[in-house]
Amino acid sequence: MANKNFGFWAIVRREVRRMHSRPLYGLSIICAPLFCFIFFTTLMGEGLPQSLPAGVVDEDNTLVSRSILRNLDSYQQTEIIKQYASFSEAREAMQKNEIYGFFYIPRGTQELASSQRQPTISIYTNATYLIPSSLLYRDMKTMAVMASAAVGREVLFAKGANLDQAMGFLQPIQMDMHALSNPWLNYNVYLSNTMLPAVLVLMVLMVTCFSIHTELKDDTAREWMSMANDSVLKAVSAKLFPQTMMFSLMALIYLVLLYGLLGFPLNNGFWPMLLAAEMLILASQGFAVFIASAIPSLRWSLSLCTLWGVLSIPISGFSFPVMGMPAALQALSYLFPLRYYFLIYVDQALNGIGMVYSAWFYVALLAFTILPLTDIWMLRKAAYKYTYLI
Amino acid sequence: MWFKDMLDVSGKELRKTVSDTGVLVFFIIVPLLYPLLYAYLYSGEVVREVPVVVVDECRSATSREFLRKADATPDLKIISYCADMEEARNLMHRHKAYGLIQIPSEFEGTLVAGRQATVNLYCDMSGLLYYKALLSGCTMVSLDMNRDIQMTRLSGLSDWEKDVMTMPIENEYVTMFNPANGFQVFLIPAVLILLLQQTLVLGVSMMAGTENEKRRAGMVLGSEYSNPITVLGGKALAYLLVYGFTATYVLCLVPWFFHMPQLWQLPTLVAFIVPFLLASIFFSITISFFVRDRESCFLLFVFASVPLIFMSGISWPTSNMPVAWRVIAQIFPSTHAINGFARIGTAGALLQDVRVECLALWIQTAVYFMLSLLIFERMYRSDKMPGAEFVIAMRTRVRKNIRVAKRDIKGKLRIEK
Repeated sequence: MANKNFGFWAIVRREVRRMHSRPLYGLSIICAPLFCFIFFTTLMGEGLPQSLPAGVVDEDNTLVSRSILRNLDSYQQTEIIKQYASFSEAREAMQKNEIYGFFYIPRGTQELASSQRQPTISIYTNATYLIPSSLLYRDMKTMAVMASAAVGREVLFAKGANLDQAMGFLQPIQMDMHALSNPWLNYNVYLSNTMLPAVLVLMVLMVTCFSIHTELKDDTAREWMSMANDSVLKAVSAKLFPQTMMFSLMALIYLVLLYGLLGFPLNNGFWPMLLAAEMLILASQGFAVFIASAIPSLRWSLSLCTLWGVLSIPISGFSFPVMGMPAALQALSYLFPLRYYFLIYVDQALNGIGMVYSAWFYVALLAFTILPLTDIWMLRKAAYKYTYLI
Repeated sequence: MWFKDMLDVSGKELRKTVSDTGVLVFFIIVPLLYPLLYAYLYSGEVVREVPVVVVDECRSATSREFLRKADATPDLKIISYCADMEEARNLMHRHKAYGLIQIPSEFEGTLVAGRQATVNLYCDMSGLLYYKALLSGCTMVSLDMNRDIQMTRLSGLSDWEKDVMTMPIENEYVTMFNPANGFQVFLIPAVLILLLQQTLVLGVSMMAGTENEKRRAGMVLGSEYSNPITVLGGKALAYLLVYGFTATYVLCLVPWFFHMPQLWQLPTLVAFIVPFLLASIFFSITISFFVRDRESCFLLFVFASVPLIFMSGISWPTSNMPVAWRVIAQIFPSTHAINGFARIGTAGALLQDVRVECLALWIQTAVYFMLSLLIFERMYRSDKMPGAEFVIAMRTRVRKNIRVAKRDIKGKLRIEK
């Protein structure tokens, strides 16, 4: 086989030329993922949002209410930006998005507290913005409980109790929360670890499908097939090889970015995650080839691949857990390569447990990779018969 | 007559939309089905009954009471009582449980002695909702039991005195506008708005791609009209007509299907959505000029949905974004529209509450209209110029020659080596 216009490497060279001739490939393989990598990691660079804007409505305006407010402002995640005169003014500020929540201290709080008649203070948060709302709630709730305990503690001290006894009385059972592997509750760790590969998967699915079907559209598929001696498997694998290399490089970049530069939890070393990322790319390519072969229309197969890529983000369950979804969608989640990558990441990077626990997830990714073996013969048929329809 | 021309363009554009299945998919089918799928995905709002395991080293009446009450909360479900930490950890590793409650052996003794006893919680951090469920479930139980314990210690006082003693200042929590504090109400409005913008971008650029393919094949388009404003206006009118229906379905019916809060008032909603649609339409037309063929729009624009939803600040708060991203986010209609619509629809804001966003959308409409006019005019001129095709043909030939020459040089170099 001395002829240099045939065989695996000839197709690889041809594909590199094709990719080079269209800026579209560069944009979608390198620029788009790189943009998202930088975007997500810098966007949430703070890890946990600090100094969230909040307000207060102090109708009481007494010693007690002012001491509550002073303490509230000393929390790291809450910043009291303004004091409002009335409840409706604060609500309007919330609707204007100036604040995410406010503390409401009604008139007579001190009077009731000092005469032991149990006043109520209220916490309002705008749950339209779920993350800031939840975080503010945590601070404000602690604050409210502390304010209450402070009053109670004074009474106990006055009765002669020491601090140990006082706390033993005020809070007999306390919770000690251990957030395993992410004790800072870092949102960047929580979201970027799956968001970056998710963008990559989306691009792999689309680029793979697009590049195969443009051969059909541009009527170059016969030439392509003949270069592989009519072996569709050889034709496809050679064509995708340069893309695999490029995407692997992108995967390496995000892995180095996350675990090297940003120092995210990586409790089982680099290799299991590198293997997972590499297998994720191959699995996505396999899935895209499967779709491209099954549906002999550029637009429809590309649409399906796009849908799969976009849908894999919510359905992989990294933000909203799969167990909270309806049963039908729980079953559907098994058909997304990203879901398995996410499970591997939880085991290998976050929790750092033995590879044996994740073995089946790796196998599932492998299954996606060899999925096209079932229908790739259809692609060969299409290559010889296909005509492009708008 | 410019008005007649405009209607003429509009009619043609509508016909083109209807006859092109690819565009119809973006304008009708995706907006029809995708929101349903997405809203259905989050219809659970929150996670309930998170499976947890328990290691009870105390095995006393109090520890059992604590666990029984934890199991009874809507947040948690105890799936196994383990003999030791090893067994519990194993269950967590196999994804059977997402949390671990450990009660130390001295738990009851400490309580009886009147000191503070500790319950240890361990949480799998693969999802923050597990953390939230475990913490809020157990906190609820501990607050409840704390009161009981205090009550028994305060025997001799009246019930009311005990109440005041244990909690001198009561507090209450109100999650406004999103009663279940759930994912659906928080995320779906953003997804709906983004969907409108993205399908417009994809559909319009697919049409532009088709036009470009035809132009490359030698057809000249749009030369029969007197000026580019009528062409642009006509196109915008056609899209606005289609998206009037699409937006009504997506923004009003979909939330209604899923019983999401809908506090908007019609004048506010219309006055806000019209500039959003106009801004999106001219935004789409502007960027569609960069699309060379039908299908490249997928590769170029779909991925942007992911960063765009984050840029809006609906998830990660705007106040905590780096300034650069906050500035870049201003370019996109979706940023303002998501913020505005979330507050109009979910929080019942009025037009004066969202006037900043509304103004921003009108400014975007003007800017993108001017931009698209500028680009369109250049293109239109080059098409109408005598011999435009000749210039294009020459340019392609020169490029091809250069490519061939480069290849030859490379070949020679290789031979020399």
